[in-house]
Amino acid sequence: MALFRKNSQSLSSSHSTQAKGKKVALVGNPNVGKSVLFNALTGAYVTVSNYPGTSVEVARGNAVIDGCHCEIIDTPGMYSLLPITEEERVAREILLNESPDVVIHVLDARNLERMLTMTLQLVEAGLPVLLVVNIMDEAERMGLVIDIPLLREKLGIPVVAAATAKKRGLAEIRAQIKAYDRQSHAVFGYNRRLEKDIEEVAGLLRGEYTLSRKTVALLLMQRDEEVAALVHASEKERYEAVVALVKDKSFAHRESFHLDLSLERKAIVKRLVEGVMTVPAQRRATFGERLSRWAVRPLTGVPLLLVVLYFGLYKFVGDFGAGTLVDFLEKGIFEEHFNPWITGVVHAVIPWETIRELFTGEYGVITLGFRYAVGIILPIVATFFLFFSLLEDSGYFPRLALLVDRIFKYFGLTGRAVIPMVLGFGCDTMATMVTRTLETVRERIIATLLLALAIPCSAQLGVILALLSKAPGALLVWTVCLLLIFVVIGFLAARLMPGETPMFYMELPPMRLPQLSNILTKTYTRMQWYFMEILPLFILASVLLWLGKITHFFTTLVDWMTPVMAAIGLPRETAVAFIFGFFRRDYGAAGLYDLQTKGLLNPRQLTVAAVTLTLFIPCVAQFLIMKKERGWKVSLSIGLFVSLLAFGCGWGLNRLLLATGIL
Amino acid sequence: MKCGYCGYEFPEEEGIRGCGRCGMPGRCHMVRCPRCFYENPLEPAMIKKLKKLIEKKS
Repeated sequence: MALFRKNSQSLSSSHSTQAKGKKVALVGNPNVGKSVLFNALTGAYVTVSNYPGTSVEVARGNAVIDGCHCEIIDTPGMYSLLPITEEERVAREILLNESPDVVIHVLDARNLERMLTMTLQLVEAGLPVLLVVNIMDEAERMGLVIDIPLLREKLGIPVVAAATAKKRGLAEIRAQIKAYDRQSHAVFGYNRRLEKDIEEVAGLLRGEYTLSRKTVALLLMQRDEEVAALVHASEKERYEAVVALVKDKSFAHRESFHLDLSLERKAIVKRLVEGVMTVPAQRRATFGERLSRWAVRPLTGVPLLLVVLYFGLYKFVGDFGAGTLVDFLEKGIFEEHFNPWITGVVHAVIPWETIRELFTGEYGVITLGFRYAVGIILPIVATFFLFFSLLEDSGYFPRLALLVDRIFKYFGLTGRAVIPMVLGFGCDTMATMVTRTLETVRERIIATLLLALAIPCSAQLGVILALLSKAPGALLVWTVCLLLIFVVIGFLAARLMPGETPMFYMELPPMRLPQLSNILTKTYTRMQWYFMEILPLFILASVLLWLGKITHFFTTLVDWMTPVMAAIGLPRETAVAFIFGFFRRDYGAAGLYDLQTKGLLNPRQLTVAAVTLTLFIPCVAQFLIMKKERGWKVSLSIGLFVSLLAFGCGWGLNRLLLATGIL
Repeated sequence: MKCGYCGYEFPEEEGIRGCGRCGMPGRCHMVRCPRCFYENPLEPAMIKKLKKLIEKKS
């Protein structure tokens, strides 16, 4: 195990580094300005590479500070010395294996109290800490006053106030790096019982460790497996006695050691910041801060989410985008003007009927592919991306992640899965790819399955919202069906698949007023990307359908599907929409739109078709990504399961609606 | 650029670009945040130029 080399080895490496210069590691929570400080210290000469044995990237650069050569390492974000994620593990490994001469802990002045807990751990571990209280400009703007000399005195380590993005404090940081000398630091005491327990465990340790014995004891008591392995290797025959004592002390007189320790540390930090930080008495929470609180609390967050979905998805995307705009473009422009005109032109130019069919026939490249892409899909994705960019720019998504974290745990997922789920409403293909950001393979498979099954993409969702809102009750039935299937399948998947659900932490960026320029830029870019992607595919699909038509393969395919359609109570023509849907989900939804405008579906059939089509097998692109991300076995299993479940649910829903006469 | 999801600020060149796994032909206009992997749309060159022009004038 590479982690935690013994002190003697570390010290020798440290000496060799010192001979060349200083090694400086930047640590801290994500998003506190570490990278900005790293860039300011190193300039352009930077190497970024994966940390050995991991996929985590670490940036290294060199700096010369008043003639002193320094190697600067930008470590991945970490919240604590007890790692949860791979990034945190790497950050800790760098701290311990590379024995930096200076550990710069960068923290956000606005969250001083929360982030000082890690400073406490670093100091307690005996590391050479230089504290940089960053983003001071913002803190001052909020009216916060931080007494840096007092904080320096209380911690017993150098402390620098900075605003690295504005280059404030950089000179002092450089000077402190140059002059840094391992000096005495403050000692923080926990309550008497905890201190006694730590002392007893630490007293049993005889080996040499990079970290202080107190920290090793604490990490052991927090059941850190890597530290346990290190202690095992170091203590040899004494290990059993250490384990027994740790077990005894961790559970004696307390329900949760983690909770006790966390409360103790909070209490110490509270005492530390007393007199150091002054919050203006008259400061009232801003509207953004209040909205942020409402968004994450279940009691207010769920109604807020429903309001967002109702006005954003239903009214704006469904009603306005898929209703008003599609009516105008598809019916007003394409049906009335463009299609008759282009058909006339093609008839005048091309004398062969079969070739005319390719361009302006039933499945023509222009009259079907181009019309679907521009007349139906484009206005829907435009409104969806506008709504999406607005939410994104406001900082709502991370709050949504926190809100649903508790619910997602029942499905074996965490709030982290909100990213692929939210992206899935844009395009399931890219969302499937993003599932790789989830921590465990189990989570990735569950998220891939739920995306393939119950998350409609933006265009499909828009068309379905517009179609079903015209039939009273249909939209409610569709929503209940989809939610029920999402919940039941997620719940069963979490129970059937072995493994534990990981913990989820997230640093919340501030809630902000969305900026029009940001929203428009993002919407434009996404629309451009989407359109460039779908247009060639829609044209290709039209050509394939045309080929299928002239070779009669398409009719054969429809013939094969007719009994399945009949079983779920749908007319034969609906098979066409399902075949379209296999090319792309939105293409299938547009096919459903055509069937509805031709008056071929009653409200019951429309609802059954919409539910089945939403659940139906993922489109070709999504399937290929599933194969790339999860392999043949998982993707084929998901594809087969989803298809069978889709038609099974369609059949069941049809029987239920016929029996109850709801629609 | 700033990640639309986690708010992480990173230089454009540090973002993950053109991984090509989605099967999208040609150039991808998305940049993934190195921290949370969220897809962020890349600011079009035309808009970048416009912004620079406005900054210069002001």
